[in-house]
Amino acid sequence: MQEYDYSDITPLPIQTGLQDELCQIMYTDEYKQLMGLARAMLSANELSPRALQLTSRIIDVAPAFYTMWNYRFNIIRHNVAGCDDAVSYLNKELDWLDEVTLNNPKNYQIWSYRQSLLKLHPSPSFKRELPVLKLMIDDDSKNYHVWSYRKWCCLFFSDFQHELAYTNDLIDADIYNNSAWTHRMFYWTNAKRVASEVELADELQFVLDKIQLVPQNISSWTYLRGFQELAHDAGQWNDKLVQFATSFIGNVFSLPVNSPQDLPEIESSYALEFLAHRWSVDSSTRENAIRAYNLLATKYDPIRKNLWQHKLKNLN
Amino acid sequence: MQQRLGRSIARAKFINTTLLGRKRPVMERVIDITDSDLGEDIQPLMKELETDTTAARHETLQSILDIFDACENEEEPTLTKDFHKMYLNFAIETPLPPQMTALDASQPWMLYWIANSLKVMGQDWLADDVKRKIVDKLFAISPSGGPFGGGVGQLSHLASTYAGINALALCDNIDSCWDRIDRKSIYKWLLSLKEPNGGFKTCLEVGEVDTRGVYCVLSIASLLNILTDELSEGVLKYLQNCQNYEGGFGSCPQVDEAHGGYTFCATASLAILRSANQVDIERLLEWCSVRQLQEERGFCGRSNKLVDGCYSFWVGGSAAILESLGYSQCFSKHALREYILYCCQAEGQPGLRDKPGKHSDFYHTNYCLLGLAITESSYTCAPNDPPHKIKCIPNSQVESSELTDINPVYGLPIESIERFIDHFESSPYS
Repeated sequence: MQEYDYSDITPLPIQTGLQDELCQIMYTDEYKQLMGLARAMLSANELSPRALQLTSRIIDVAPAFYTMWNYRFNIIRHNVAGCDDAVSYLNKELDWLDEVTLNNPKNYQIWSYRQSLLKLHPSPSFKRELPVLKLMIDDDSKNYHVWSYRKWCCLFFSDFQHELAYTNDLIDADIYNNSAWTHRMFYWTNAKRVASEVELADELQFVLDKIQLVPQNISSWTYLRGFQELAHDAGQWNDKLVQFATSFIGNVFSLPVNSPQDLPEIESSYALEFLAHRWSVDSSTRENAIRAYNLLATKYDPIRKNLWQHKLKNLN
Repeated sequence: MQQRLGRSIARAKFINTTLLGRKRPVMERVIDITDSDLGEDIQPLMKELETDTTAARHETLQSILDIFDACENEEEPTLTKDFHKMYLNFAIETPLPPQMTALDASQPWMLYWIANSLKVMGQDWLADDVKRKIVDKLFAISPSGGPFGGGVGQLSHLASTYAGINALALCDNIDSCWDRIDRKSIYKWLLSLKEPNGGFKTCLEVGEVDTRGVYCVLSIASLLNILTDELSEGVLKYLQNCQNYEGGFGSCPQVDEAHGGYTFCATASLAILRSANQVDIERLLEWCSVRQLQEERGFCGRSNKLVDGCYSFWVGGSAAILESLGYSQCFSKHALREYILYCCQAEGQPGLRDKPGKHSDFYHTNYCLLGLAITESSYTCAPNDPPHKIKCIPNSQVESSELTDINPVYGLPIESIERFIDHFESSPYS
């Protein structure tokens, strides 16, 4: 890295100077010097290469320091405007950013900065983004910022071609990964205005298979309900799904109503919830719905008793 | 209760020996326990695949059930207020070590978390000299009276301004500090952050746009009596588009995953806009209720994620807001209270924490305390009243920690909000 001379700059204070300042941080001298320089250059609006390098150093030690990200963006934007090869210049910046990204998985600021760079880029590429996003998700498969940013990219580039296969891989690796399931719904909601009957049937089968594999999984059941709505299923799936869900609740409906201790375990409380929801929308199955909510409240999902009682109240 | 506890532990022991002891290659084993020789009292565990999710949960669950188990025959723990006060006072009396530089861009947050935690534990625990120090620090960060940045020389930021205004609201207009707030500048700045999609950037140029930003704007503006139609235009639509099929809210209007923090921001925003009936409430109630985990008793922030004490407020607060608006009270306050008292306090370690095995911090101390306050009260609001008029009714059924009444929309004591809003109501912004 090139060494720049900053000796002509007088650092500005980064502390209030108050006596007995509340929650005063005991900065190291190095930090005070670095941040003080940055403050001075920022207030002079210096947009030089040495200013750019200073922001790298600060982001390295204080990645959440949003003021530096903004300053850096101003420098980059200024330099792009006077640059013959904006593409290489911005690609170099993205390379730098990849490194920072990988070192700071929980950071908030990186993602909006990335978005701003891509908007500034004359020929941005989703393909260039994919490897770093994959590495981040390999490291933490539920990283909220990364998933949200990935969605933003899909919309920004109008490119959804990798998404279904990607969520397949992640759901294979961890069937409980709710971020991956949500991303899948994002795909169906945005990728195509109208999906074919065959595609919808395939997707339905996909989620049923996953539920079969692990029946007590909130992610797949919530997805099933959401997908049925998204597909505007006017009822043709209903019988099949009721039958499917019933296969996870054993024979609880044919047993006499006894004390909860005598009831058997079932494979999935979410199946029972799904059924209760179905049954509650049709007056002919209302009695079943009441029974199901009571079972949930007393035995199969008792921590949510208040919700089940609320559902029962709605039915009366 | 006792019986349920006993069962959970039997179950956890089963999980422990069957799952935790084994080396786990990703995904393979379907655990089918019908053929294993378990004791009569152990209920079959559902078919389960071992993944990162289950491994993490089982580890957490084990440490939590160990605590419940150890306390089974003892008296319920109480909130060790004086002990937590020590932790907060230490931060007030002593400068923070260099490791805290990570919070350099979040200094107003620390002021709010600490001051609020003190005031929630004791109405008069925030001493006048500390209030003065809060005021001095905030007006040193922004001598003109706002908007506020994270520290001296930092850009104005929505989160810093939100936290700064909340901290000032806690200072009871000491030395007429409320009159030093520059509402005109704050209003202009808030408008300048507005995006075409109805959201707000957290700061000018490069700033995230998400539900958090929306909540910060609406909270600041409603407290300062500068919430105009111009400012809130398009916000409702933005929030509606952040509710996804799960029922909770995500960060951006693009089927983002439903999340406790963002759901709180959206729900509180809807309450301020008095538009809660414009989203799918039924599904929101379902989503909030399913965040509470049977064995852990506390809330997780997303489906298939771990319990965390801070969601006691983010999710519990969302539920309390809905309760105040006349919707059903959708979770077990009793169970959540147990999670906070048993698992978020540690012997020998003042302050409150995320979960067993974690260190306490200011953030978790504040949000666990707010969550605890919610579990010991119920909330109502007259149909035509704005959300700062939410009333808090102590629940006589539970042992009380004697916390200050709080308003779930603002995360502040009711009394502080009322005084703050009254102050600015009598001087309308023009």
